[in-house]
Amino acid sequence: MSVLLNVRNVTMHFGGVHALTDVSFQVMQGEFLSLIGPNGAGKTTMLRAITGVVTPQFAKVELGGVSIVGLPIHKRARLGMAMTNQIVRPFVTMNLLDNVALAAGHRRIATVLKAVSSVDKGAERKKAQELLDMLGIGKHTQENIQGQPLGVLKRLEVARALALEPKLLLLDEPLAGLNHIEAARLADVIVEINKQGLTVVMIEHNLGEVLRVSGRLVVLDNGRKIAEGDPQIVMRQPKVRAAYVGKEAEDAAA
Amino acid sequence: MLYLELLVQGLIYGCMYAIIAVGLTLVYGLLRILHVAHAGLFTLGAYLGLILTNATGSLFLAMVLSGTTVGLVGMAIYRFCYKPILHKPPYVALIASIGLFIAMEEIFRLLFGPYGLTYTKVPLQQTVHFFNMNLRAVDLVIVFGSISMLGVLSWLAQKTRLGIAWRATVDDPQMAESFGVSVQKVRYLNFFIGSALAAMAGIFVSLLSNMAEPTMGGVPSYKALAIIVLGGLGNVGGTLIASIILGIVEAFGTIYVGDFLDRDAIAFAFLIIILMLRPQGLFSRK
Amino acid sequence: MGIYELSLAIIVCINIVLALGLNLITGYCGQISLGHAAFFGIGAYTVGVLAKAGFPSAVCIFAAILMAGFIGIIVGTASLRVRDDFLAITTMGVGFLFLGIIRQQEGLLGGEMGLSGIPTIGFDKPGFLVIAFIAVILCSALSLYIKRSWMGFAFDAVATDEDTAKLLTVDVAAYKLTAFALGTAMAGLAGGLYCYFTRFIMPDDFGFLTSISVLSMVAVGGIGSVPGVIIGTALLTLLPEMSTFLSDYKLLFYGAMLFAVMRFAPEGIAGIGTRVVQIYGRRGDAK
Ligand SMILES: Nc1ncnc2c1ncn2[C@@H]1O[C@H](COP(=O)(O)OP(=O)(O)OP(=O)(O)O)[C@@H](O)[C@H]1O
Ligand SMILES: [Mg+2]
Repeated sequence: MSVLLNVRNVTMHFGGVHALTDVSFQVMQGEFLSLIGPNGAGKTTMLRAITGVVTPQFAKVELGGVSIVGLPIHKRARLGMAMTNQIVRPFVTMNLLDNVALAAGHRRIATVLKAVSSVDKGAERKKAQELLDMLGIGKHTQENIQGQPLGVLKRLEVARALALEPKLLLLDEPLAGLNHIEAARLADVIVEINKQGLTVVMIEHNLGEVLRVSGRLVVLDNGRKIAEGDPQIVMRQPKVRAAYVGKEAEDAAA
Repeated sequence: MLYLELLVQGLIYGCMYAIIAVGLTLVYGLLRILHVAHAGLFTLGAYLGLILTNATGSLFLAMVLSGTTVGLVGMAIYRFCYKPILHKPPYVALIASIGLFIAMEEIFRLLFGPYGLTYTKVPLQQTVHFFNMNLRAVDLVIVFGSISMLGVLSWLAQKTRLGIAWRATVDDPQMAESFGVSVQKVRYLNFFIGSALAAMAGIFVSLLSNMAEPTMGGVPSYKALAIIVLGGLGNVGGTLIASIILGIVEAFGTIYVGDFLDRDAIAFAFLIIILMLRPQGLFSRK
Repeated sequence: MGIYELSLAIIVCINIVLALGLNLITGYCGQISLGHAAFFGIGAYTVGVLAKAGFPSAVCIFAAILMAGFIGIIVGTASLRVRDDFLAITTMGVGFLFLGIIRQQEGLLGGEMGLSGIPTIGFDKPGFLVIAFIAVILCSALSLYIKRSWMGFAFDAVATDEDTAKLLTVDVAAYKLTAFALGTAMAGLAGGLYCYFTRFIMPDDFGFLTSISVLSMVAVGGIGSVPGVIIGTALLTLLPEMSTFLSDYKLLFYGAMLFAVMRFAPEGIAGIGTRVVQIYGRRGDAK
């Protein structure tokens, strides 16, 4: 199996806050990796460093063997990575369908000239509808963003990311805000997509689902990587359990 | 010698800019509104100061009365103009504020006439010798008046309960509220103080030019907007330093590049250059 | 139509072109500009200088469009560095900088006294109105087309949340610069027409108040809506002319109107229109 994403020595400080200190890990082609750790561990910052939203003090990031450090966000996205936001950020001026259709039309908007010379949105809207159906929110497509429950908006984030047809899907707490059944269903959908060949990196606090679906774990605590490997084995390590003081970890390990 | 004189010139303008800009940056810090109508309060302050000085013969009394009145008008502007639209996108308050400012200027023109008013006897015109320079008393009053007003303000902010509540609100309104600070009270206070300072600046300018006219708020206040952006929107200390820097840059600029650009254009050229180099302003917000 | 009505109609057309340009930048792409009048001025002065040098009017107008659009791209790069309120103030600064430069250029640009003696465009008033009207049609059609195209879609994303747009592969910088280029080019066209219309231009025609007036027209009409902007512009241009009362108090009226619309109906006339349609539509459904 080949390495799809290679992250080396990422160090990111915000003033005095050491969000990430010398973190390295790899993501294999086709794998389902979960990135876990307590609140404030630096998980979101790691995804943002990978997608270029923040610029770490030091980092080497390679996608498919090619360094992407220094590339702007939209170019990294074009190389095939898509990220969902932990705190949802839908385009509030568009309905759900168009939020996804815009992403589905990523080739049409790749250059200004292409964008100005194409008008028809039918194909992209059709694809957006399919994605929203797949995620179980297909009946909301014509509705406005205002007033949608968090569970719908979280899935909208996933739909929008999938619409980009990425090679690497980076999910930041996609299950938060969903009830038990919805969470399990969404996790199943993600697993299904992963089986079809899409590489997934998921941040998630819902350890039950994490252990059910992930092939491998990377654990962050306080900006450092403290463990990595097979989910069951990793969760048994004392330092991982120590990092998770609280019921969540106890439940999951039980 | 020329340099020193330019420096003093710059300092006088800088002080004036500072007391206009402080009110603006306070409003921005609290509400994220570019309060263009602040310029209208500046002009109102000048008119009231001038009229009251002519009526009572006492500049000091006029300043106190003008400052208080303009402070109250500032509070009314917050209550009736901004409070209802705080949750709208930022351009809404900005455009509303511009509209308010234009309307205020027109009201001044209609009330006081288009050509402006002058002092019957201009106060503070005696010449003072200071380090070999001939300065007018009014120059000294502007510099020392501004510095002491800002000094008092900073003391209030550091030492009094109200001041601490106010700083807490600027930092984090929700947190302050949870500690029992009345955010509304702080905002009213903020508008009162900021507007009263603008009135003082207006009176200073009217003393320098022996005139209060409807359009006098325009240029200094657009410049105040430039200053608060330079100072790193909402950053009071940065705003003060930026005011002085801009005053000095203008003073030197008019000598050295005055053939290509007028005074205002120099200020804005400086603003644009700095912002392109440092998008967050000279001093960012913390 | 008498000469007076013709002149008014021409001014309305010029203002609509100007406002549609700002609407592209601010309404479509979400980049606030308080310096739009500078590009109006660049267009006007380009025509003024070239026309006096004897160039044919089509060449002059074309040059005005190019010049304004080109400088618009340069100014647009500011929007890549600063956002929102910072951008508003930067563009305001550009406006003042433009005025400052014009005022000091006495030789070429006439300085404070302005440029006079500009040759005629070669049409009488009705002919001029036809040309101005064609300009309105072209700019409206272009705006409406852009809104329907994928470019309008991308603009919408940039205006709403540019960080998210970048994550969705949108080249935000390219779209912003395009919006500035097109919007300022329209301002250049408006300026060129204005120069031929008045045949005498002064720095004050292109000052901060003009920028604000254009912004008012867009905001009162409804930011982002082409019909709204057209109605808003016509309204704000014509109302002060309708009665002497309003023309004496033109600025007061402007200011109060601007304030009142933002305070009570921030979506402008277009927003009120939409609301009426929605209410009407809902009633229709209920039947
Ligand atoms: N833009 C920023 N500026 C300053 N500090 C930041 C910034 N972004 C993150 N941090 C800090 O970096 C640390 C790591 O934050 P991060 O959001 O990456 O954590 P996380 O693991 O995603 O936590 P959670 O599970 O709560 O989402 C935190 O202490 C956070 O406060
Ligand atoms: Mg997080």
